[in-house]
Amino acid sequence: MTGPLVTTSGLTRDYGGTGVFGVDLAVPGGVIYGLVGPNGAGKTTLLSLLTGLRRPDSGTISISVGRHRLAYCPDVSEFDGWLTATEVVGLALSLAGGRKRGGTACGDALASAGLADAADRQVGGFSRGMTARLGLACALVADPELLILDEPAAALDPAGRAELLGTVAGMRGSRTVIFSSHILADVQRVADQVGILREGRLLYQGSTQDLIDTYLTPCWLVRIAGDAAGFAASAARQSWVTAAEPAAGGVIRIEAASLEAGERGIPALVASCGARLAAMEPASADLESAFLALTGVAG
Amino acid sequence: MSLWRLEWLRLVRTPRAIALCAVFGFFGLVEPFVTRYQQDLVRHLSHGARIQLPPATPADGLSSYVSDATFLGLVLVVVVAAAALCFDSRPGLATFLRTRAGSVRELVLPRFALSAAAAVVAYLLGTLGAWYETAVLIGSLPASGMLGGMLCGAVYLVFAVAVTALAAAMVRSVIGTIGVALAILVALPIAGAPRDVGRWLPSALADAPVSLVNGTDQLPHFGPALAVSAVATVAILAVATVRLRSREI
Repeated sequence: MTGPLVTTSGLTRDYGGTGVFGVDLAVPGGVIYGLVGPNGAGKTTLLSLLTGLRRPDSGTISISVGRHRLAYCPDVSEFDGWLTATEVVGLALSLAGGRKRGGTACGDALASAGLADAADRQVGGFSRGMTARLGLACALVADPELLILDEPAAALDPAGRAELLGTVAGMRGSRTVIFSSHILADVQRVADQVGILREGRLLYQGSTQDLIDTYLTPCWLVRIAGDAAGFAASAARQSWVTAAEPAAGGVIRIEAASLEAGERGIPALVASCGARLAAMEPASADLESAFLALTGVAG
Repeated sequence: MSLWRLEWLRLVRTPRAIALCAVFGFFGLVEPFVTRYQQDLVRHLSHGARIQLPPATPADGLSSYVSDATFLGLVLVVVVAAAALCFDSRPGLATFLRTRAGSVRELVLPRFALSAAAAVVAYLLGTLGAWYETAVLIGSLPASGMLGGMLCGAVYLVFAVAVTALAAAMVRSVIGTIGVALAILVALPIAGAPRDVGRWLPSALADAPVSLVNGTDQLPHFGPALAVSAVATVAILAVATVRLRSREI
């Protein structure tokens, strides 16, 4: 990870109450940056501002790569239907000033997007998923330093989505990728850094794991050898416990006021109850839980 | 694959070039024929009534062609140009082009130039066809008047394509662009109804071939309209480019 490749300062575009407001983005070079937020949060507006398709009312944008080293793939790609896939990608390469990359660039880009077999087909007959893949091929063909993807997996089937995420994950370190998504599992899978937008404001920006660690409710699944119901009742009376209830299979689910309180308190409580601790594991920590804790809305 | 080749493929791989050549060519070949035999056609259709028409002159043959070419042909030219110049009508396509092209001018220039070139070529083919057909069936046309008229007609079509570019910069949809462009082109002859004003307007060039062939006017008479059309075409394209540059997607 290097210094910020993309920074914005106080970026604002107001569409009468919607848009983006005072966004200070900082995207380090070489990372995969996931931009997440509910529908209408301002993700597409923010990406459009970064790519110059829209202009801010106030604030500044600084991108440390030349225009031809940036590629943008919108959520809905459209092309002239009477061109072949190779011609569309060739046009993208030509517009990016990348003719000198040689004759295999188009074929390589199509192959990396899974369209090698459709290279000579006219794109007017492509499905929505194939068109989305073609958009990715157009973005990749000029070997951009900064790749911006708006909901890249939205039109893909599960297999295609997994393939695309694998492709994006493979770019880590070699290029900077900013991608928006409302599928939090996708972001958690590939993004090193995450920015959370809600109602046009950037609520969080930083490492994906830090977000999960910071905003996740400290919660453990505890299994003891002994009276599980009695232990749950004892736990519920502790001041540091916010919730304790038996779950299926003799497991007790304990939520603590803090990570430290739980990690110290649960073993001590087991010992004081005269029980034996069979297992203690954190409840699954995921971006969705952190996102909900941070925003209080569904993604 | 450059933007110029893209426009060439747009013309030849879709029905656009064929439609332009077919329409202008059809009128060029059919109108002099109809003019030559209109007395026979009228007699055949009048069911015995005697209708006497004056003998057809070579200028009549060309006049019929020019009349159709400046109406239906012009509409088709505007439709073809609008389809090429309205690249913002599809947001995904607009994003693809605008985030990659170095400037809006790079997008506008090939679309304008090849649309205008296709219109001019089709118009000239149709006019040559009308010239040949008229010469064979009715009588010869003065070459100087024909060449001058072809120049005027071609300049007018180029101006019409520039007006379409301006319309595409005012509205996003193809249908809206066609409507705005045709409204401007129809309004011009109305604005130029007074002859002293009209001879300065590009619309004066539309009927110039007939005036030049029948001797009503000489080419220098259309000098002001030719000059205004050339300057207006450049100015309109500049305004259209500036407007398109400031448009957001």
